[in-house]
Amino acid sequence: MAAFAATAGGLLRLRAAGSEGQWRRLRGAGLLRGLLQPESATGVAAQRRRVAHFTFQPDPEPREYGQTQKMNLFQAITSALDNSLAKDPTAVIFGEDVAFGGVFRCTVGLRDKYGKDRVFNTPLCEQGIVGFGIGIAVTGATAIAEIQFADYIFPAFDQIVNEAAKYRYRSGDLFNCGSLTIRAPWGCVGHGALYHSQSPEAFFAHCPGIKVVVPRSPFQAKGLLLSCIEDKNPCIFFEPKILYRAAVEQVPVEPYNVPLSQAEVIQEGSDVTLVAWGTQVHVIREVAAMAQEKLGVSCEVIDLRTILPWDVDTVCKSVIKTGRLLISHEAPLTGGFASEISSTVQRRCPECV
Amino acid sequence: MAVAAAAARVWGSSRGLDRAGLLLLRRPGARGLARSLPRRQEQQHFPSLDDKPQFPGASAEFIDKLEFIQPNVISGIPVYRVMDRQGQIINPSEDPHLPQEKVLKFYRSMTLLNTMDRILYESQRQGRISFYMTNYGEEGTHVGSAAALDNTDLVFGQYREAGVLMYRDYPLELFMAQCYGNVSDLGKGRQMPVHYGCRERHFVTISSPLATQIPQAVGAAYAAKRANANRVVICYFGEGAASEGDAHAGFNFAATLECPIIFFCRNNGYAISTPTSEQYRGDGIAARGPGYGIMSIRVDGNDVFAVYNATKEARRRAVAENQPFLIEAMTYRIGHHSTSDDSSAYRSVDEVNYWDKQDHPISRLRHYLQSRGWWDDEQEKAWRKQSRKKVMEAFEQAERKPKPSPSLLFSDVYQEMPAQLRKQQEALARHLQTYGEHYPLDHFEK
Repeated sequence: MAAFAATAGGLLRLRAAGSEGQWRRLRGAGLLRGLLQPESATGVAAQRRRVAHFTFQPDPEPREYGQTQKMNLFQAITSALDNSLAKDPTAVIFGEDVAFGGVFRCTVGLRDKYGKDRVFNTPLCEQGIVGFGIGIAVTGATAIAEIQFADYIFPAFDQIVNEAAKYRYRSGDLFNCGSLTIRAPWGCVGHGALYHSQSPEAFFAHCPGIKVVVPRSPFQAKGLLLSCIEDKNPCIFFEPKILYRAAVEQVPVEPYNVPLSQAEVIQEGSDVTLVAWGTQVHVIREVAAMAQEKLGVSCEVIDLRTILPWDVDTVCKSVIKTGRLLISHEAPLTGGFASEISSTVQRRCPECV
Repeated sequence: MAVAAAAARVWGSSRGLDRAGLLLLRRPGARGLARSLPRRQEQQHFPSLDDKPQFPGASAEFIDKLEFIQPNVISGIPVYRVMDRQGQIINPSEDPHLPQEKVLKFYRSMTLLNTMDRILYESQRQGRISFYMTNYGEEGTHVGSAAALDNTDLVFGQYREAGVLMYRDYPLELFMAQCYGNVSDLGKGRQMPVHYGCRERHFVTISSPLATQIPQAVGAAYAAKRANANRVVICYFGEGAASEGDAHAGFNFAATLECPIIFFCRNNGYAISTPTSEQYRGDGIAARGPGYGIMSIRVDGNDVFAVYNATKEARRRAVAENQPFLIEAMTYRIGHHSTSDDSSAYRSVDEVNYWDKQDHPISRLRHYLQSRGWWDDEQEKAWRKQSRKKVMEAFEQAERKPKPSPSLLFSDVYQEMPAQLRKQQEALARHLQTYGEHYPLDHFEK
């Protein structure tokens, strides 16, 4: 696991759009086809794997939350966790390998800062991690559980769906585990294959009682994660692993919240609504730019942000305006979350699609 | 350490060496020690400090003989008991010497539970409630353990622990309300009968999936430790549920994270129709504890004092030492698994009768009480009449109450009701407006 993460970190070399750098990318290349060349190369260029299919686009520096700092996605996560443990003395972080800093460096420094009773390793057992987290939350303390890869969340599916999601309802609100948040790295990374690349949000979307959230950027991630931790319902927070290093932007140092269950229109348009979440938002942004340039099509781009409960109103409002909807996600098509969105939109606004 | 231990074995001291002896051994050369030992066998290798296993994963010595450890199931972990089957104290120093009032509370809790079980089982047969699970034969495990805890200790149960709630004075009205799913049910009528819960009495609401409560109880214990609450968590489960992965997860987490928790296994011989011989091949559940590094004991679950003593000591040490304890209470499920089960399909009536007549926790305690002069046949008769009357009254009242409003189908899914659920709630309301005549709305609150 650790070796993988180090390699992943070492191989991701994307340039943020607009910044000058030493490396230039060949145009029009698809995944694995391009070469990265140093500008000063004289002879044969070194072959390097081009691992990303998009360019991360940072958002403008936020002004309303005080001082900001350049952070990548995993640093933004660390910052959110740091803020949480500072504010809430009951908060604890646990999972496999979190003590030394985590395989993706999300918990670096936290054990030293907050103590080994607050940031600790558990045995290698996802059903135990989530069950244990539920128990902490039942007493009212804040539990932040890490599942090492979303691909490995399935042993905990029973605890999440049958227990966490139903705790409040089945007890008539006598008990709840609202102070539980589960974090997991999510989505494709280029070389992850079957078991380090999955996007399982659709499985959980079918489960009332939990919230499911996917950020597109460091700023969004910190604000959404803080909202999840403070939310009084059990939340699953999926972190696009390909963005851990690739996404860099200015992020406020102090805590702030990005609201759950609110989609964000990140680009206005008139001809078609494009919906995505996580990494795919950046792909869709490029698609919107290409559509404008090559087809003269004006796209409205929406980052869904929260998968469950999702912001039906924002999407429908946009589709009523544009009359067309395209949803794009990494997960398998059949039963993917796009089917929930499209069927709901068709039901809600039949006359405009 | 290994050297000192080996040396102690050779020199025959049972407690290891005293300080002086240890100092002597502190810097042995291999040669020096070999010289002073009698040679036992030609091939014996004396373990020198250089030759100790260094593996991080286990602290042990080397052995040069190939030998598999034989699991001991013929004469496994012994069963601790205080009373014999006739309710007589075997070893007076183990008698907890509880005051009369407390022991009478034990007896009344167990018998009241038994009475409630009979009446509610019947009520299911008559179609008044949908489902029920009795606790016949296991009353001792509930009451003995509950009595040894503080009232604020958190309880995670499986589904056959109603006696714990009974001991904590959960009113009959609320037992009935949950089984009838009426407006007085604290659970708002959402679950099947016997899925009790009570925040006030620190009894976490029961859920149907088995063993899921085990790792949760461990988490709660960890939080209690962090809060310096001087609180233990007790987690009940059956020997069948102990086969679930969640049980393994819970045991391992409790040990590695040093949690003040009591794991209480009710080994009652059956998981629905599956006997223990098909549930496990090792020496029950107690023998698994040491594998996780957990202090473990097996007790006679039909001996309320044995259960009490073991739980009391486990509680004291779990809180003082922040470590888990495993108690396997051997007992017998006299009743069927539930009202959906007829156990004559897989076990003999003779077997059931043996336990009912010869080794029942209620009878054993009654004999103890009678031998003390704390109970007699007249009191027994009067109490039976009184407890039956109490149960019948609660039962009749519960029957008369309406069910909760259908709008409660949608609340508490989240803390706040999201827009989509509100829409569904409104859609149901509109549906009932139009088609209400097809639904028994008279039985439900508006």
